[in-house]
Amino acid sequence: MSDRRLLVVEDESNIAEALSYVLRRAGFVVETVSDGDLALQRLQREHFAAVVLDIMIPGTNGFEILRAVRADPALADLPVLVLTARGQAKDRQLAEELGASAFVTKPFSNAEVVERLCAFTGCSQQES
Amino acid sequence: MSRDLVGLKIRALRKERGLLQGELARRAGISPSYLNLIERNKRAVAGGLLDRIAEGLGVQRHLLDEESDRYIVDTLSEITADPLLAEGVGHPGAAVELVGRYPGWAKLMLRLYQAYQDRNQAVMALADRLNRDPFLGESIHRVLTHVTAIRAAAEIIETDDALSPLDRGKFLSIIASDAGRLSETAQGLSNFFDSAQVRIGSATAMEHVDSFILGHQNHFPALEEVAAELRRKVRAHDEPERALERLAPGDAGPRKIENVLPLESRRFARVKNLMKLPAKDAVDALTVKNPILSDEAAKALAASALYSYAAAAYLMPYEEFLEAAESCRYDLDVLSQRFEVSYEQAAHRLATLQRPGASGLRFAFMRSDPSGYVTKRLPLPRLPLPRYGTACPLWVVYSAFQTAGVTVRSFGELPTGEQFFFFARAVEKLPSPPGAPRRLLSIMLACPAEEAQRVSAADGLNRPSAMVSLGTVCRLCPRDCAHRQEAPLIT
Repeated sequence: MSDRRLLVVEDESNIAEALSYVLRRAGFVVETVSDGDLALQRLQREHFAAVVLDIMIPGTNGFEILRAVRADPALADLPVLVLTARGQAKDRQLAEELGASAFVTKPFSNAEVVERLCAFTGCSQQES
Repeated sequence: MSRDLVGLKIRALRKERGLLQGELARRAGISPSYLNLIERNKRAVAGGLLDRIAEGLGVQRHLLDEESDRYIVDTLSEITADPLLAEGVGHPGAAVELVGRYPGWAKLMLRLYQAYQDRNQAVMALADRLNRDPFLGESIHRVLTHVTAIRAAAEIIETDDALSPLDRGKFLSIIASDAGRLSETAQGLSNFFDSAQVRIGSATAMEHVDSFILGHQNHFPALEEVAAELRRKVRAHDEPERALERLAPGDAGPRKIENVLPLESRRFARVKNLMKLPAKDAVDALTVKNPILSDEAAKALAASALYSYAAAAYLMPYEEFLEAAESCRYDLDVLSQRFEVSYEQAAHRLATLQRPGASGLRFAFMRSDPSGYVTKRLPLPRLPLPRYGTACPLWVVYSAFQTAGVTVRSFGELPTGEQFFFFARAVEKLPSPPGAPRRLLSIMLACPAEEAQRVSAADGLNRPSAMVSLGTVCRLCPRDCAHRQEAPLIT
């Protein structure tokens, strides 16, 4: 089921836990990391169908990860859902310029995140 | 722009008093047609004739002097450079006419403009704070993070019918813990707004003080008199500071704290404190009910400046200092040694020697820190000094920082064609601890270029070849210049 494998990059453990639960209920296989450097390493070594990426994380921040992902030919088409508490227009603009596939602002609804990821991965949403 | 306000003011005051030209001319001992020329600014008027006209109008002479209004004209002209306000105002030169004919309205506009600037600055400061305050930014981030966790967990509990009791307990515990942290963050925010008494000071307090000082032409006879009276009681062999402790016993201020200051500054600070008793009445009379000093911040700034003035007048008595200054050709090193004051104190005192009938060369004075922040300024009527840190980088007040302790000088021509001689020196205000950056301030004096031969600092400097084209504030300067940082507002 590698096409349903997601990486959730989020340093807030409670948010990561709730997101993982919801995404698993929707049929995804979810891996979580809380640190930017580790996230980048895993993205370069493993295959994921999509990434949920928080911007404000320790280590390499979300913008830098996004830049590195888009600069890597192997990852250039990877769907990236940017997740951030900083919903300011300029952050959104920067994320879009750097090639974010979509942008969700905290506090988001679970359904919105699931819907976006299902759209990226071409799967129908499973009933939970 | 016409330089003459006097004629317009005479006409306005005459009409206000219901006097015909013939009557005022008779009182002043001139022909009505000559008065008519004066009123239309076709003839210059000064000296004894201006005194007689003032007397004929029943006003004090200084009411007619154009220089006290120059600040208003300059500021009103500045308003016309503000594209938001001045659309359709017409020629900036009309400011002279407005001030001359309707001085009350001109002052009202000035006060409105200053109030508008104050509010602008306050709004910008508050907006800046909301956008950039690290505590607010971090708190809002935390609020959003906790709300996100609570919302995600609550949605799971609400929508997932198949939620196991274990998972249910886990998400309830997430809600509880994030709700607890959210409360703490909210409490912190609430405390921040409770305790953060945002004091909106007057951004233009310094301008009001400028206006006040310029209105007095940098000269305060009442304070000179207080200082002179005390000096008369100082015996020939007395040290002035010690004598003052005896003559005006009061709080000279703490010795220990001031010990970090250089000797001259310490002495000056103590004399300034001691002057607070003998000069109090004179300072209060000048500041308390002064309409130009519209708020407490401006009054306090002005009072502090006046006590410094009184201290300087005491340590550098008027006649003695003027005589010494003229005999050494305004050499600040000679003067500071002779009167045992700092370079800056001597420079500032030079800019106050404006007693009618016994005045020294008139100087503008400006003090800046290395970032360009102007910490003290006494403009000349036709030499507007920059108010904020956006001055012309070509002024020697800035280049003096490159060679601290050395006098830097130049002739400069403003876009108006006015030429001045500038000289500046960066001095160490306070000694710095080893390894720390030096705390330098640059002190600049300027006088009209044609007077430069009276100043020793200009010796050997050839006026035409040393003439630099400069401006005051970049956005108000029309020059095509390699140093430009901002587009000009008027082209």
